[in-house]
Amino acid sequence: MRTRIFAFTLSIFLCAIARAELKWEQTAVELHPTAGDKEAVGHFKYQNTGSQPVRFKSVHTSCGCTVAQSQKEEVPPGEKGEITATFKIGDRTGTQVKNVTVETNDPDHATTVLTLKAVIPQELEINPTFVFWGQGEALKSKSIVVRASKDFPVKQLKVTSSSPDFQTKVEQTGNGQFKIDVQPRETSREIAAKLVIQPEDSPKVFYATARVTNAPAIQ
Amino acid sequence: MAQIEKVKFVWRIVDLVLAGIFIYAGAIKAFDPIRFASDIDNYKILQWTIATGLAFYLPWLEILCGVALIVRRLYLGGLSILTALISIFIIATIAAKVRGLDITCGCFGHASQNWSFPAHLAVDLAILAALLALYFKAASGNRLENAV
Amino acid sequence: MRQALILAALALLPGIGQAIYFRDKVSWQSPIPASEMVTVAQARTWDGNAIWVDARPDAEFERDHVPDAVPLNEDRWNELLPQFLVTWSPEKRVVVYCSSQSCNASREVARRLRGEAQLKDVFVLQGGWEEWLKSRK
Repeated sequence: MRTRIFAFTLSIFLCAIARAELKWEQTAVELHPTAGDKEAVGHFKYQNTGSQPVRFKSVHTSCGCTVAQSQKEEVPPGEKGEITATFKIGDRTGTQVKNVTVETNDPDHATTVLTLKAVIPQELEINPTFVFWGQGEALKSKSIVVRASKDFPVKQLKVTSSSPDFQTKVEQTGNGQFKIDVQPRETSREIAAKLVIQPEDSPKVFYATARVTNAPAIQ
Repeated sequence: MAQIEKVKFVWRIVDLVLAGIFIYAGAIKAFDPIRFASDIDNYKILQWTIATGLAFYLPWLEILCGVALIVRRLYLGGLSILTALISIFIIATIAAKVRGLDITCGCFGHASQNWSFPAHLAVDLAILAALLALYFKAASGNRLENAV
Repeated sequence: MRQALILAALALLPGIGQAIYFRDKVSWQSPIPASEMVTVAQARTWDGNAIWVDARPDAEFERDHVPDAVPLNEDRWNELLPQFLVTWSPEKRVVVYCSSQSCNASREVARRLRGEAQLKDVFVLQGGWEEWLKSRK
């Protein structure tokens, strides 16, 4: 009888202490992709430090541009693994923060938010990327300021317009700083051009848009 | 007597340095509270509403407590609040490190975002030590005055 | 303790003052400022004066989108932006949407349109694509 009570109590105790527990090496990863990289991949390593298997119920991301997958659906006690988050950079700029939400059967940490921070280098800062004139507006040039980042020195800038309706003139205004003056040939009709901006000795191209809209000029 | 004056002078410098740090830290965050709220929100620790409330309130609390240290009015209250604030920052920084999180909106908002974890912790601990030293000095000074 | 309470109370004054000053620039319910959000009902009243911008990935746009919406996502920003800018004109209001409130894409696209292209009157659709779908029923 005593043995049975002891075995029963022990089993309750063991059930109480037996649990699934996932320990993360880090829940935030910062990536520094280089210019030209199409993707940035973060690895979130974990280990099951509990005595029960950990089961992943779901892994989903905050953005369609990030895909996350777990190596395993179930992690036995003591085993290690990782969740890989692949962030598609596309034409994104600046610091991007994407979250991966992981749901498991770990009772203490059922939901864990993993953070992927990608600092995307911005070679050129173009301001603004769009210049426009209203119909009938005075034929004055408008300026686009281009600043090269310190990590990407630019000595010369080449600008070509996709349409002869817009003329461009590039002037260097400082170290790594340029001014592009854009002027339409006329503002009596709707015209548009894509301006291709290319640093010297770099295959990378950047864009701005110039347009005469169909709306009258705001006086 | 000159020795006492020198010691008082040194404590006053500590007062002013700490006050300057907190006024600077508060001013940086008060200048752009929306960015500060985004910094807090980015790490998904607090709800957006609470993050926004803190972003508008905390910087001014830091500035006022810094001013309290300079003008020596509500001095002990200022020291208490600043000690509490820096203690919370230290606990949060250590807890985040243990959990693998990366809180970069520490004491100095975006100005400290490139600091390493040990650097952040060392600065925070030094500030805490100085605040505690000032607090106990001021509190024991009050007790002596009351006894006399 | 009393001194700390006094300081804590005093700090509320500039804090509340600043919150009032920034009331148009910040929304307490969501990270997007109230003045930059628009509901489906409001956007519908703009009729022909609104340009709908779909910030979702290409595949989602292809499946279904707001009628006459223009795709503009960060995956192909450099290619899609000039196409969008050809359709834009100053008197029109831009309404950017993506999938539901928690999606960041519409905020990012709106931010870039305001910041990089310096367009005025750019709004984010409250509730996103899901809210639009509900309003169609």
